[in-house]
Amino acid sequence: MANIKVDGQLVEVPDYYTLMQAAEAAGAEIPRFCYHDRLSVAGNCRMCLVEVKGGPPKPQASCAMSVKDLRPGPNGEPPEMFTNTPMVKKAREGVMEFLLINHPLDCPICDQGGECDLQDQAMAYGVSGSRFFENKRAVEDKYMGPLIKTSMNRCIHCTRCVRFTTEVAGISELGLLGRGEDAEITPYLERALTSELQGNVIDLCPVGALTSKPYAFHARPWELSKTESIDVMDAVGSAVRVDARGREVMRVLPRVNEAINEEWISDKTRFHWDGLKTQRLDRPYVRKNGRLQSTTWDEAFATVAARIKQAGNRVGAIAGDLSAVEEMYALKGLLASIGSGMTDVRPAMSGIDPSMPRSAYLFNPTIAGIEEADAILIIGANPRREAAVLNARIRKTWRAKGIPVAVIGEQADLTYPYEYLGAGFETLADLAAGNGAFANTLANAQRPLIIVGEGAVSHASLGKQAGRDTIALAAKLASGANVAEGWNGFALLHNAASRVGGLDIGFVPHNGGVCSADQIAMAGRGELDVLILLGADEYDTSAMGNAFVVYIGSHGDKGANRADVILPGATYTEKSGTYVNTEGRVQVTTRAVFPPGDAKEDWAIIRALSGVIGQPLPYNSLSQLRSAIYAEFPHLARIDQITPGSVGDLATLAGAAIKTQSAPYKSRVSDFYLSNPIARASAVMAECAAMASGMRQAAE
Amino acid sequence: MDFINAALDYLLGIPAIGLGTQIGFVYKALALLVGLLIFTAFILLADRKVWAAVQLRRGPNVVGPFGLLQSFADLLKFVFKEAIIPAGADKILFLAAPLITATLALAGWVVVPVFDGGAMANINIGILYLLGVSSLGVYGVIIGGWASNSKYPFLGALRSAAQMVSYEVSIGLVIITVLLCVGSLNLNDIILAQRDMGLAHAIGVPWLTFLNWFWLPLFPMFVVFYISALAETNRPPFDMVEGESELVAGFMTEYSATPYLLFMLGEYISILLMCAMTTVLFLGGWTSPIDLPPFTWIPGLIWFFIKVTLVFFMFAMAKSIVPRYRYDQLMRIGWKLFLPLSLIMVIIVAFVLQLTGWGWHGGVA
Amino acid sequence: MRVGQVVNTLLLREFVSAFFLAMRYFFSPKPTVNYPFEKGPVSPRFRGEHALRRYPNGEERCIACKLCEAICPAQAITIEAGPRQNDGTRRTVRYDIDMVKCIYCGFCQEACPVDAIVEGPNFEFATETREELYFNKERLLANGDRWERELASNLAADAPYR
Repeated sequence: MANIKVDGQLVEVPDYYTLMQAAEAAGAEIPRFCYHDRLSVAGNCRMCLVEVKGGPPKPQASCAMSVKDLRPGPNGEPPEMFTNTPMVKKAREGVMEFLLINHPLDCPICDQGGECDLQDQAMAYGVSGSRFFENKRAVEDKYMGPLIKTSMNRCIHCTRCVRFTTEVAGISELGLLGRGEDAEITPYLERALTSELQGNVIDLCPVGALTSKPYAFHARPWELSKTESIDVMDAVGSAVRVDARGREVMRVLPRVNEAINEEWISDKTRFHWDGLKTQRLDRPYVRKNGRLQSTTWDEAFATVAARIKQAGNRVGAIAGDLSAVEEMYALKGLLASIGSGMTDVRPAMSGIDPSMPRSAYLFNPTIAGIEEADAILIIGANPRREAAVLNARIRKTWRAKGIPVAVIGEQADLTYPYEYLGAGFETLADLAAGNGAFANTLANAQRPLIIVGEGAVSHASLGKQAGRDTIALAAKLASGANVAEGWNGFALLHNAASRVGGLDIGFVPHNGGVCSADQIAMAGRGELDVLILLGADEYDTSAMGNAFVVYIGSHGDKGANRADVILPGATYTEKSGTYVNTEGRVQVTTRAVFPPGDAKEDWAIIRALSGVIGQPLPYNSLSQLRSAIYAEFPHLARIDQITPGSVGDLATLAGAAIKTQSAPYKSRVSDFYLSNPIARASAVMAECAAMASGMRQAAE
Repeated sequence: MDFINAALDYLLGIPAIGLGTQIGFVYKALALLVGLLIFTAFILLADRKVWAAVQLRRGPNVVGPFGLLQSFADLLKFVFKEAIIPAGADKILFLAAPLITATLALAGWVVVPVFDGGAMANINIGILYLLGVSSLGVYGVIIGGWASNSKYPFLGALRSAAQMVSYEVSIGLVIITVLLCVGSLNLNDIILAQRDMGLAHAIGVPWLTFLNWFWLPLFPMFVVFYISALAETNRPPFDMVEGESELVAGFMTEYSATPYLLFMLGEYISILLMCAMTTVLFLGGWTSPIDLPPFTWIPGLIWFFIKVTLVFFMFAMAKSIVPRYRYDQLMRIGWKLFLPLSLIMVIIVAFVLQLTGWGWHGGVA
Repeated sequence: MRVGQVVNTLLLREFVSAFFLAMRYFFSPKPTVNYPFEKGPVSPRFRGEHALRRYPNGEERCIACKLCEAICPAQAITIEAGPRQNDGTRRTVRYDIDMVKCIYCGFCQEACPVDAIVEGPNFEFATETREELYFNKERLLANGDRWERELASNLAADAPYR
């Protein structure tokens, strides 16, 4: 620890702190452009200049100088720094003047206007006129793909984007070329960036040089109503802010949540919002003479109710990837009231058995816990595609500690080096048997992290037993002899936001029900009369035979195509829904806009339907429904918290008998950009997907 | 047959081509009616112009040169607008009221001598007839107010009734003073009396006719008559009947289009009638103010209209310069001031005439 | 005192003096501007009907910065923006002013960085229906084209004082 006086106020800070951190600890604000908490220090904007006593007599960049770099006074007085002296002000005004020399005066047409660091700080440190009479520097705009719009005249060369892409995103596709006036940020080859996290450079850019292309010119920050919410594009549950104008979602931005996404979000999360407006189901539809025709809620409900009454308990329900806990709970209640237990939230042929303990389907070490891991094994997952933000966390851990990473399953560029062990179950079995160098690494690891992807437990080509056996073997690997007390290294990485919530409330076969694949098979054989798809689009809809299919969801996707009745629901931006992320963290979305047309919140549709059937569910409002859920599943009431699974469960899981010989692992997310109905409705995502697949083809 | 011939002669005769011995009554009536209506139209405009001028405005100036055709434009507008009859109104009375007002106002003009012997009906009791007809005018207002079946018109009508009745009394007494001096109820005689006797004769300058006129000897009565005439015709400052700040538009609130036009017409014609009465009673009617050439060259008709216009100008100026009276003040003036004053004047005048033997006795001194 | 009052009353002294006062006004020159035929002078700063201006080459000035929309105290301005189809420049796709809401404060023209939205000298834009007062971009641009000469000279006249 070291003592330092900040503007005359004595503070004690760790001696490795920079002067900027020390100033922050003392509550003094220091302007900056290039410095960013989560990126390396560059020290090239010079905006954070301060005056120091006990160091060089010239203004010092506070982001790049440590507290320990300063000498104490002759009598042992603590060193001093000043953030508000005339010298500091003059220095910053000088820096600002230099920055503005070449910065165009185009704030009115700049999308950063209103949320621009340079704009804000020019208010504090700018002078009213310019002394520069030469021509301003002109830089050609660069192409960076369909997501990032560039206006390089505005660039102030803070290099935040370069540092982000190389350090966090792990792609070396941006750089600063040239010197002095000729310095330019460039993607070198005028090609689209290939990272799933590239959108974050838009937030990082302190000026308007890098802006969002889909959002270009569409709104101003001051006219947006900001709603703090949760992302449902993957099972990570990133904290986001949904910015809406009127009834339209205009953009999605990340919020800081150290436990989940730090302050990054994936491109799918950031840019899927145009999918919220297209392909929407905004009216109920009923299929008549083979064609879907729009109708009234009354008629749609009457049609469904008639079929359900006819069907008795031969009714099944499958929940899709984006379903919230509320509607799944309501749907489960609806089916229970007609004596059916045929509910499933899992993908077809899932190895996650309803009888398994909760820790069998959670990312037990937690996302923040990745940073504590000392060896990582990834089984049947491509975290870069399945959970891009989580992958950045693995990369961060690898960069910080250089831990060994190994992969069983598909080979892919994960942005960090790893040891490739094999492609399928047999490799895992081999590893679990203690063969190979990595088995040793795992056995010696105190905090081994075994990431099991859905591709290794729930894949149609695997079969249920292989999935179950994978879980058992992974659990066995996670519970090595040297594992630290309390460390649960078994981490199941789900691909859908609805999964853990559904498993938590038991939206799985019970009371004689069968799993999703079997339900579809039964429907195909005519043994199931009514199949309710709660936003379920990832299943084989062609195999449902003559069953009467009711689709409750927001987008006209695969499920809606097959449906006999469509009941239009709300997306996560249009309802307050509880989601449990892959760690088991309970989070709640907030309504930013209202559902379009006649669409209603999904739980309300199910509640209304139950009334028409004559078995009204015992809740009339969202709060009553929540009370019922919380009474039955108390851990869901602990919002933003994780109720961990028991470490002891690992032994139980590991003890299961292994029956599988061999099975291939394949990630369930084949296309990052098109993994759910909202993303599939988005033109931006389609463009990205086309570009990504084109690139992949070109690379091969 | 003689009777029929006489009647036709009376109604439609034209002496110049031998059809009759006198100008037919119908022609005279038409001439009077048309002349009067045109005169009213311009007087209406003059009223607005005067009012505007005092308020430093221009007044209507768009329709025709200097806005001279404004009244005709208004007439067209009123005629072409939709006449709205309130659902609860007594339809017949509602439509009859403006007719009564307009007809009675026109009827008064029958006995007014616009030049020497120029009355259409030179009857002996002309002044009595005038008094009667103008008193009946209140019926139009009352009926209109009542038939509207609405509270503002009703209140307006009540006020009007009380107001008109009150000032009728003092007007009657004022006229009596004049009649005492003249000794005849014939309007032409009243004018002749003002020509043939009076102050000018008394001081030996008989050509200064305007000194002869009754406005000078009976000055207080002239003033009382002027003010009472304002009140009688619901002119400002006594327009409590319409007081828009209190009663929207008084008895005319529910009226629109042609019925409204008839009310306005009747009102202005009776105002003109009052101006004519003032002229006849106090300003020597059609006589010229100075009985010398070139004044005598100007026909009596012109003098009459000049005088009427001047009196109307005073009416208009009163509208411009005097704020509206409170209703109780109005009634106080009528009953407590004008009535005693004019009664006393009647007695004084009677005494003076009796003691001095002055007076005009059908031209026989 | 009372006698004087009575005399004053009987001779209508107040009325007569008021009459002469009124006659003085009667003959004094009238300040009325004979409106539709003659018009008073209009200041270059007059804030009348809005117009969207163009550059001399015909390019519309408005760049959809939305500052006018933000400053508008009556929230009468509605703008929707986006990249223009042919060249990707920032333009409005919708620029509506609800002239019924507008309070003619002139903040929009003060806020405009490119002198695109201006309040012109025209105040004779009465309409028969309210709907006609919901001005859209077309109408505003047409106003700009119609009044450009006056608008430009007004801006030039006022420029030294800004």
